[in-house]
Amino acid sequence: MKKQINSCPNQTEKLKLVSMLANKAIMAIKNGTIKKRNLVWLELTGCSGNIISLLDAANPGFKNLATQMVNIIFDNSLMVAEGQAAMEKLFAITADDYILVVEGAIASKDNGLYNIIGQFNGQPITAYRAINELGPKASYVIAMGACASDGGISAGRPNPSGSLSVQSILNRKVIKLPGCPCHPDWLTGTLSYILLYGQPELDNKDRPTMFYSTLIHDVCPRRPYFDQGIFAEKLGDKSCMFKIGCRGPVTPVDCPVRKWNQHVNWPIGDDSPCIGCAQFGFPDRMEPFISYNTTREV
Amino acid sequence: MSEQHFYDKDFNKTINDINDTIDNLYLTEDCYEKNKLLNNLRKQIANITMMMQNNQNYSKNNIEPVTQNDPRVFTPEELSTYTGKNGNPAYVAVNGVVYDMTNVAAWGGATHFGLTPGKDLSGVFASCHDGQPILSTLPVVGVMAP
Ligand code: HEM
Ligand code: SF4
Repeated sequence: MKKQINSCPNQTEKLKLVSMLANKAIMAIKNGTIKKRNLVWLELTGCSGNIISLLDAANPGFKNLATQMVNIIFDNSLMVAEGQAAMEKLFAITADDYILVVEGAIASKDNGLYNIIGQFNGQPITAYRAINELGPKASYVIAMGACASDGGISAGRPNPSGSLSVQSILNRKVIKLPGCPCHPDWLTGTLSYILLYGQPELDNKDRPTMFYSTLIHDVCPRRPYFDQGIFAEKLGDKSCMFKIGCRGPVTPVDCPVRKWNQHVNWPIGDDSPCIGCAQFGFPDRMEPFISYNTTREV
Repeated sequence: MSEQHFYDKDFNKTINDINDTIDNLYLTEDCYEKNKLLNNLRKQIANITMMMQNNQNYSKNNIEPVTQNDPRVFTPEELSTYTGKNGNPAYVAVNGVVYDMTNVAAWGGATHFGLTPGKDLSGVFASCHDGQPILSTLPVVGVMAP
């Protein structure tokens, strides 16, 4: 591996944070100082991208999370039970303590008929009904990904299903982890923190500050190019992508440090601009994702 | 308020900042702090370079007299040509003042949260950034016609 010239603690410590928290939680559960919590995962109006993203988690991986930190009561992509039996598990948990993770927006038009997540006693259960029944009773609600946090792609213009964010349905604290998809570390870290200490510090839009506090642009490895006015003209150029529409300057999240696919690379590292997927307003307000005729010198 | 006046003011301020940074560099022993200061210094020098270039281009193109005592006045039609595209700078009016967004980081590709330049955006600015100290950091190019 290339020797890290940059030993800035903002970079090195941030990367260690999630495994540190998760290992601490796992140890505390083993020692009996804290308990495993029940986890309900509702996959609503979206693309399942967030559960797929979580399955790619590393150090700790998904298996550690599912076996050593929480009891997954319901997740329609992963659970063994199906049909009526699955729905019975889902609704039975409301009598108990559980943390609710929601991915996907909530289709609200025509009483939510655009998204039916299962049948219960012969009745179709809409995403709209599920969130209304499970949201208020959960000990924590985590909106994972762009759609759950802010409507995202599901609520993109012209939004035919009337999709809404979790917060626009629930009148309670909803922790938001925007991103399309959400990084597995952002969820694992938040969940570990909740198990250990309760609600993490949130910003004024309810995003955990441990992940969402620094603008991409402020720690971007291409920042020296920006400062010198050396701008990419097309995808694939190795300089700053400000002139082709980079959203790094309005997106406060730790991608430059954390990177993706088990910390391997990230969009800007692969010469394509940030499209602001982890900022509210994505995708409509982050468009156009790329612009070619922007004025360079005035 | 002339363009030259802005230039002198920014220039002097940056020179002062550079002197402050150098003073601090003498004092600090912490290596992180030192790196931060050196970074600042580099940024400040880049600012000066940019200002000098702008000034040169400005006098070269001689779009209007450099020493002009009144601010440039824009009509809405004039403003609408400054879209940040095809060689035109990106100007946005807020509360009667016209700002140059061409090189403002948050306006990458000359767009910002679905907004485009060449317009008066006072209303959206108030609804999105009320109370935030943003306008004072933006370069001013003129005022809107009353
Ligand atoms: C639809 C309305 C708008 C929305 C939703 C919006 C949203 C935002 C957000 C979320 C940020 C901060 C990103 C961050 O630090 O986390 C930002 C920064 C900024 N916005 Fe806007 N904005 C709007 C309108 C405007 C207008 C009209 C202007 C121009 C006058 C403007 C100029 C800026 C500037 C210069 C920054 C960077 C501020 C800094 O450096 O701290 N915005 N905007
Ligand atoms: S590539 Fe994007 S985030 Fe990086 S310095 Fe350029 S504008 Fe900022």
